[in-house]
Amino acid sequence: MTEKEKKYQEMFLAEAFESQEELNNLFVQFEKDHDNEDTIETIFRITHTMKGNAMGLGYDGIAKLSHLLEEIFGHIKQKNITVDQELYDGLFKANDKLQQLLFGLKDDKKVTYQGIKTKLEVMLKKKLEDSNGNEGEKEEAPPSPSAPVEDTAAEEATPESEVKEEADTEDKKSTIVFSDQISIPISKLDGLLNLVGELIIEKDSIIAKNNGSSGHNFSMLHRITSDLQYGIMNIRLIQVGFLFNKFNRVIRDVSAIEQKEVELELEGTNIEIDRNILKIMSDSLVHLVRNAVSHGIESKEERAKTNKKQKGKVYLRAKNEKDTVIIEVSDDGAGIDAEKIKKKAIEKNVISKEIAEQMNKHEILNCVFEPGFSTSDEVTAVSGRGVGMDVVKRAAESIGGRVEISSELGKGTTTTMFLPSSMAVKGALLFNLFDQVFAVALSYTEAVVSYNKEQIRKTSSGLITSYLNKPISLIFIRDIFQMEDQSMDQKIDTRYTRFDQLPEDKKIDTLIVNHNNKMFGLVVDKFLQQKEIVEKKLEKPLDSNPLLSGATIMGNGNVCLVMDVASISNILSKELIREKVVL
Amino acid sequence: MEDILTKTQRGGGSTEDLTDDQLQLIVFKLAKEEYALSIDQIKEVVQTPNISRVPRSEPYVKGIANIRGSLIAILDLEEKFGLISEEQKSDSQQGKYTLVIESEKYKMGILVKKVPNTLTVNKANIDDSSSIIQYSDVDKTSMIGIVKDGDRMIILLDMVKMMDHMESNSLIPQK
Repeated sequence: MTEKEKKYQEMFLAEAFESQEELNNLFVQFEKDHDNEDTIETIFRITHTMKGNAMGLGYDGIAKLSHLLEEIFGHIKQKNITVDQELYDGLFKANDKLQQLLFGLKDDKKVTYQGIKTKLEVMLKKKLEDSNGNEGEKEEAPPSPSAPVEDTAAEEATPESEVKEEADTEDKKSTIVFSDQISIPISKLDGLLNLVGELIIEKDSIIAKNNGSSGHNFSMLHRITSDLQYGIMNIRLIQVGFLFNKFNRVIRDVSAIEQKEVELELEGTNIEIDRNILKIMSDSLVHLVRNAVSHGIESKEERAKTNKKQKGKVYLRAKNEKDTVIIEVSDDGAGIDAEKIKKKAIEKNVISKEIAEQMNKHEILNCVFEPGFSTSDEVTAVSGRGVGMDVVKRAAESIGGRVEISSELGKGTTTTMFLPSSMAVKGALLFNLFDQVFAVALSYTEAVVSYNKEQIRKTSSGLITSYLNKPISLIFIRDIFQMEDQSMDQKIDTRYTRFDQLPEDKKIDTLIVNHNNKMFGLVVDKFLQQKEIVEKKLEKPLDSNPLLSGATIMGNGNVCLVMDVASISNILSKELIREKVVL
Repeated sequence: MEDILTKTQRGGGSTEDLTDDQLQLIVFKLAKEEYALSIDQIKEVVQTPNISRVPRSEPYVKGIANIRGSLIAILDLEEKFGLISEEQKSDSQQGKYTLVIESEKYKMGILVKKVPNTLTVNKANIDDSSSIIQYSDVDKTSMIGIVKDGDRMIILLDMVKMMDHMESNSLIPQK
């Protein structure tokens, strides 16, 4: 059995076991109230689906048995046959057999099923004849949903011995099956995770209070809380394949609309990621995959011209890199013309002409993530539904990730998302500003550097310094945050005032951040320490503050705000791009 | 952090024998004026914890504090309503107590200088505010009316409605 077949079998079994369980309940309901049309309809639907799935995968026994059940309920629905105790018993037995067949499939054992099948077939035939005889005005058996009864009845030619042997096993009591897995509503896990977050805060506070005084180092407490935390984070992880597999259908639908032939290839489906992160990113993935088909892959004619295979390919890949999960959506289509993007970006006022000239290809391509940018003017059924690439970017950044795009003309386009594998705990760097502690997520920090004053230059476009021999802009977070007491309000009249006011020998603590491949320095008052924090979202009425992504409670009970580097960088680059001085 | 509200309840009117046409209020002073909120809107009164200031927020948003593990925005209504002058602002010590308001939508704290009192009033003694000229600051939806209790005039507010109104104007000044 190939890997693929195995996977399909697993998926089929999971669903079929559930359906079989449901049938059991429904049959009980049906026995109690055999006129309930809802119940009959549901049973009919379930057996129909099961038959279809089993047929598609070539599981003969399951297909035939569920087909027979479907047929019986088709007749019951149309009130062609009367129901009685005999039929109920037959139905339950058939369902038990169905369960045995499923187990047989799972454990790769052969299970005979002809006995019960034949029995039910005979029963059905007899009942149909009966009712035809009773109600003369009724036509013969109305066309059954699928194969005519005679056909199935013909299969009666099964050896008598098998039927007998079958009868023995049927007498076994139906067993109650407990699955080895349980499903938990995600809200319960969220609750647990919140509790662990509070526990960690409480732990920090206990340690802070007792620090040094008792000689106790709380190593056990540390270990238990962190094991607990990672344990719960682990429960929340699911395989990306869970989401990836849904894209077969998405691709099928989009390529049908676009009249293209597209094949989806999945890689790294066993990579695990927090369920909530996957949920947040799922819309973005749909968008990217649709984009790849409708804009990436060329039409059949065009592909023929460029000697490409008629069938286009879209890849969904996942891989792990430390705590980051990388998800890539790529196609082997036409690629993106950077010149076109540049023109468009200038046209739509996303970047100025002067800036555009200085940007390299990579930077220009990544302009597609800017709000208000969309390369396709026409609105199609597939794309252009108001969801642009900027939404993808925002979704990724909302969970502390990032996204970038690369493309080669004629060869294809790849969109890469870098996502945290878990949301609960973040590595953060604490720093002092305005005598208050702030935090910044480590995922955005490239380095921390203490500069001397003479290492910093004043230029017409603000302060610059060098990092790894590359010039970078320096910005005082004080200028962005503007938290001066009004009483102490000294006029900051030029963009150098803050810098000039510093004493000559002052070390300038700078956070080098990298966002969308733009590097810049943020000057803080003083670095404190690195720490794992549990970030909470800010609630109304402070939730709309663009400078902050959330807050955390420190060991001493104080609130520490978490700076949102992604959003600050977006604000800064926008202001710089429009040739406006920051503040 | 000790809960102060229980103490004030003992000092104020009793909660038990409240009739249908009565309303229990929490009365607090902002500058020299008396304001009140319905007791259902208030979760507790605590001593003001350490407040972390929030960058680029309106001046009356004093910051955010940890109250029993919740992150709560702390507001100074004296400043919001323009009840104090510029000099008073700088030398006024911050409110020692915080009224914690918790509704489904909002969690916030209001700074007050003294422990608030409870007051039981007859609904008949509340003048609805429609006769008063409304300034934009306290929108007419957030001001329920004026409570008369002897010589006292107490302004009865609805904090949740007020927040709805402020929300639309946003606490973060847009650049």
